[in-house]
Amino acid sequence: MYNLTYEAVNWNQSASSLAKIFWDQQWKQMWFPEEIAVSKDIQQWRNFEHQETYKKVFGGLTLLDTIQTNIGMNEIAKYNPNLQEKAVLTVFGAFEAIHAKSYSYIFTTLCHNDEIEEIFQWVKKNQLLQYKTSKIANIYSSIKENDLVSLWKAMFASVMLESFLFYSGFFYPLYLGGQGILRNSAEVISLILRDESIHGVAVGIFAQNIFNQFSKEQQDELKNWGYELLLDLYDNELRYTDEIYRGTGLEDEVKAYIRYNGNKALMNLGFDTMFPEEEIHPIVMNGIRNEGSTYDFFSQKGSTYALAKVEPITDETFHFDILLDD
Amino acid sequence: MKSYLTLNNEILNHYHQTGKIDLEKDREATRQYFIEHVNQKMRKFSSLEEKIRFFIEEGYYEKEFLQKYSFEFINKIFDIAYSYRFRFQTFMSASKFFESYAMKSRDGKEILETYEDRMSIIALYLANGDELLAEKAIRAMMEAFQPATPTTLNSGKKARGELVSCFKLSMDDSMNSIAENLGYCLELSRLGGGVGVNLTDLRPLGDPIKGIANRASGVMPVAKLLENAFSYSNQLGQRNGSGVAYLNIFHADIEEFISSKKPNADEKIRLQTLSTGVIIPDIFFELMKKDEDIVLFSPYDIYREYGKRMSEISITEMYGELLNNPNIRKLKQINARKLYTEIKKSQFESGYPFEIFDDNVNKQHPLKKLGRVKMSNLCTEILQVQQTSIINDQDTPNEYGLDVSCNLGSLDIHHATKFHDFEELVDTAMRLLTQVSLMTNIKNVPSVKKANQMMHSVGLGVMNLHGHLVTQNILYGSKESIEFIDYFMEALNFFSLKASMLLAKEKGETFYGFEISEYANGHYFEKYVNKLEKEPSELVKKALGNVPIITKEMWRKLKEDVMKYGLFNAYRLAIAPTGSISYVRSCTASIAPITERVEIRDYADSRTIYPMPFLNNDNQHLYVEAYDMNVYKIIDLYVAAQKHVDQGISMTLYVTDKWTTEQLAKAYIYAWMRGIKTVYYVRQRLQSLEECVACTI
Repeated sequence: MYNLTYEAVNWNQSASSLAKIFWDQQWKQMWFPEEIAVSKDIQQWRNFEHQETYKKVFGGLTLLDTIQTNIGMNEIAKYNPNLQEKAVLTVFGAFEAIHAKSYSYIFTTLCHNDEIEEIFQWVKKNQLLQYKTSKIANIYSSIKENDLVSLWKAMFASVMLESFLFYSGFFYPLYLGGQGILRNSAEVISLILRDESIHGVAVGIFAQNIFNQFSKEQQDELKNWGYELLLDLYDNELRYTDEIYRGTGLEDEVKAYIRYNGNKALMNLGFDTMFPEEEIHPIVMNGIRNEGSTYDFFSQKGSTYALAKVEPITDETFHFDILLDD
Repeated sequence: MKSYLTLNNEILNHYHQTGKIDLEKDREATRQYFIEHVNQKMRKFSSLEEKIRFFIEEGYYEKEFLQKYSFEFINKIFDIAYSYRFRFQTFMSASKFFESYAMKSRDGKEILETYEDRMSIIALYLANGDELLAEKAIRAMMEAFQPATPTTLNSGKKARGELVSCFKLSMDDSMNSIAENLGYCLELSRLGGGVGVNLTDLRPLGDPIKGIANRASGVMPVAKLLENAFSYSNQLGQRNGSGVAYLNIFHADIEEFISSKKPNADEKIRLQTLSTGVIIPDIFFELMKKDEDIVLFSPYDIYREYGKRMSEISITEMYGELLNNPNIRKLKQINARKLYTEIKKSQFESGYPFEIFDDNVNKQHPLKKLGRVKMSNLCTEILQVQQTSIINDQDTPNEYGLDVSCNLGSLDIHHATKFHDFEELVDTAMRLLTQVSLMTNIKNVPSVKKANQMMHSVGLGVMNLHGHLVTQNILYGSKESIEFIDYFMEALNFFSLKASMLLAKEKGETFYGFEISEYANGHYFEKYVNKLEKEPSELVKKALGNVPIITKEMWRKLKEDVMKYGLFNAYRLAIAPTGSISYVRSCTASIAPITERVEIRDYADSRTIYPMPFLNNDNQHLYVEAYDMNVYKIIDLYVAAQKHVDQGISMTLYVTDKWTTEQLAKAYIYAWMRGIKTVYYVRQRLQSLEECVACTI
C-alpha cells in the first residue's frame, strides 16, 4: 500500500467553482435546536387535534434525515473525487445529524416516552416510509469506486430526498406555524429547510458537473432512469400523504406541494420540470421564506443572524473623506 | 382554516411572484377578519349608557374616573371618536388591535371594546376629570398621538397592569444591593416591564471580598441571576419579562460580558434572553484610533480610592489619573481594536451588545450638574440621571436614590403634519404623558417612585417617518429627508419645552434640580437663539404641512419664559422603536427606514403579513429597504433628529452578510463621531442561496 499518493485538499485552487460558496453559506447558517424554545408550544400541543399526524410527520422526517447522515452524505462524500466537494458534503452530513437530532428534540419536549417509542416503532413498520427509504438507501449503497454513473445516481437520489421527499412532511409544521400553531416547532423546521435547500442546490450542481461529462446516449439513458425514479417515488408519496394526513382534509394541498417540490428538485439537477404549475397554499409558501422576516426580539431566536466575517480595524477605518462626498 | 389568514398571506405571495402589490387582498382579509371573527365575538350593547354601566358593574372599568364626568360629556367624547369613521388600514393593524389591546371578557370569548371605545376611555382616564383636556385628547389620539403600549392597554381598566413598563435600575457593589435589585426585577417583570440594570459598579471576577483576594465572582453570575429573575415572572405565561444589563467597556469583566451573547458561548455564561449593552467613553475610541491597548479596572479600587462608583466618574477624564495611581490595579491590558472587533463579531452573530456613547450622552445632558447619565434602558432611547440607592442591613432604613420609569408616547408624523394646530397637538401629548407620570406609583421600587415624583420625566417620540416621506415623494436618507426631520424635531422640541414650561407655570412647580440645569441658566438655548435662520426648500415646506418653522425670535421668547417659570418635566423627548403601536396605527416604525416593503412579522405566536403604509405599485421605488440604503445616510438622518432630543433615539443598524466586522466598526465609529448617543440592535439580512449562486454562475 506504500505506493498510494495522498493529496491534500487545496482551497487555494478553484477546483469546484461553487464549493467555497456552499461551504461558507452552510457555516454561516450554524444553529442548534436548543436555541429555540420549543417548550413554548407545549400548551398548544396538549389541545392539538391532529397529534397523530404531527407525530408521524416528524417520525418520517427523522428517518429520512437519519439515512441522509449515516449513508447518503457519507457515501457520496467518500466516492466524490473532488476534494473540496468532499469537504462540503462532509459538513452537510454534520448538519443532517443536527436535523435528525432536532426532531428528537421536538419529540422529547412535546411527547411522553411511550409515545415516542410508539412512533419509532411505527417508523419501522410503515411500508410506504420503508419503501422510499430503502429505495434511496439502495442507490447510495450501490456506488462503485471510479464509477461516475453510480455516483451521479446517488447524487440524483440525494436531491430527490432533500428537495422532494422531505416536503410531504415539511408542509404540516409550515402550514400550522403560519397560523400561529406550534410556532416554535415550525421555527426549527424553517431552520432545517434553510439547510436542506442548500444541500439540494449544491448536490444538484455537483451532479450536473458530472452529468455533463457523459455522452449523449448515456445522458438520455440516465434521464429516463431519473424520471422513472421520480415517478416511482411520487406514486409512493401520494399514498404516504393519504395515509398520514387522513382526517386533516389537507391531502390535496400537500400533494400540490409535493409536485411543486418535485419540479424544484428536477431544476436543481438541471432537468426539465414534469408537473404543471399550480397554486400552493400561500401560508406554506411564505413559511419557506425565512430570510429577513421581522422577529420579535423578546421571543423567537430568529433565523437571520449568522457568523461574522472578521477583518481587522485599521487606520483606514477612521477615515471618512470619501463617504462625506456625496 | 381561517380565510383571512390565507388572504393576508396571498399579498406576499403575489408580491414575490409578480413584484406587484395587491392591496385588495389585504382589504379583503380585513373584511373577512371582521365577518368571521370580530363581529362574531363582539358583544353588542343597545346604547352607550348600557355599555358603560355594564363595564362598571361587571368590574371591567374603574368607576372613579368616569364619575368625574357627566354622562352627556362621556357621550360627547365617544361621539367625537366615532365621528372620525376610523377604519383599520391593514389586516395587521386590525388583528393587532383586537388581539393585543381591545378589552375582552374574562373567559376570553367576547370582545368588549372597539378601537374608538379604547381611545375614548384612554382620553377620559388620563384627563382625570379635566373636560377640556379630555376633548383635546380624543382628537389628538384619533388623529396623530398614541400613548405607548402599557398606557393604551391598561388605561381605565379595573384589573390592570401599570401605565408604564420600562425601567432603569442601578445596582451597587454590595450583596444587599444585588438582592434588593433582584427583588425589584421580579416585581417589575411581574408588571410586564422591561428593565435595564447597570452592572458597572460591581467588582469583577477574582476581586477581594472583605480584603481576601480571589473571592468575588464578578458580573456574569449576577447577569445570570437577572436573566432567571426575568424569565420567572411571565405575565401569566403571556410574555416573559425582559431585561438588559449594561457594563462599562473598561470594566475588568468586559470580555466575558461581550462573549456571553454568542450562540456558541459556554452554557454557564451564555445569556439566552438577557440583552446586553456596553457603555463606551470617548477615550476608548481615541485609544483605538491610535491602535493602543486599553487597561481594564475594578470599580472596587475606584471606589476605595476616590469614594466614587465607576459609573459616577467620567472614564475619559479620569483615564490618565487611573493609570498613574499605583493604588488602582491594572487588571488587564487589551488591544482596543481587537476588543472592538470582538464586539462587532458578537453583534453579527446575535445582534448584541447595544452601545452607549458615554461622553456624547453626558456632554449634551441638560441636567449634568445633577449627575451623570450612566446607562440606558431596554430600547436605548431613555437617558436620564440616576443616583444609586444605599441598601442597608434589615435593621437600618435604606437611603433611596433615583431610578427611572419610562413613560412614552409617539406622534404619527404623517398625521401630525395635517393636524390643525401642531402646538396644541404637542401640548396635549405632553399633558397626557405628564398625567401618566402623576397617576403612576411604582410603590414596590422606592427609587423609581421617588424619581417619578420628583422629575415627572416623559418621553415623547415620533413614528411613521418613512411612511410620510413616501407620501411626499422624498427618498429616505436624501438631503430633503434630513432637512425635514431637522425642522420637524426642532418644532417638536420647541413646543414640548413650551408645554412643560406652561405646566410648571400653572402648577407653580418645577422638576427637582431645575435650578442647576442648563435650562435655568439659559445655556441650553444658545444653539437655538444664535442659529442661522434659513428657509426650507419648497418640497420640505410642503412636507412639513401645518408644522411651523421656529424662528430665533420664538426661541428667545421661550428661553425667557423657561428661565422665569421653569419646566415641569426633567426629560421630555425620546424616540422609541415603536413596535406594536405603529402596527395598530398603520405607521412605519419610529424614524427608522422600513426593512421590507411587505413585511413578515413573527410576533410571539402569530405570523402576519404587513404591506407598508401608503405602499402601492407607483411608489415602491421610494420605499427603499434599510439593507439597500447607505448606512451613513441613515446615521446622518438620526444625527439631525438627535440634535433636538434631550434623551436618546433607538437606532438600529442594518447590514447584510456581505459586511465584515471592519465595515460595521466603521459605521459605529462614524455614528460616535457625529454625536449619536446610542446604537440599538444590529440587524442582518442573510443573502439567500439563489442570490449568491446567481452572482457566481
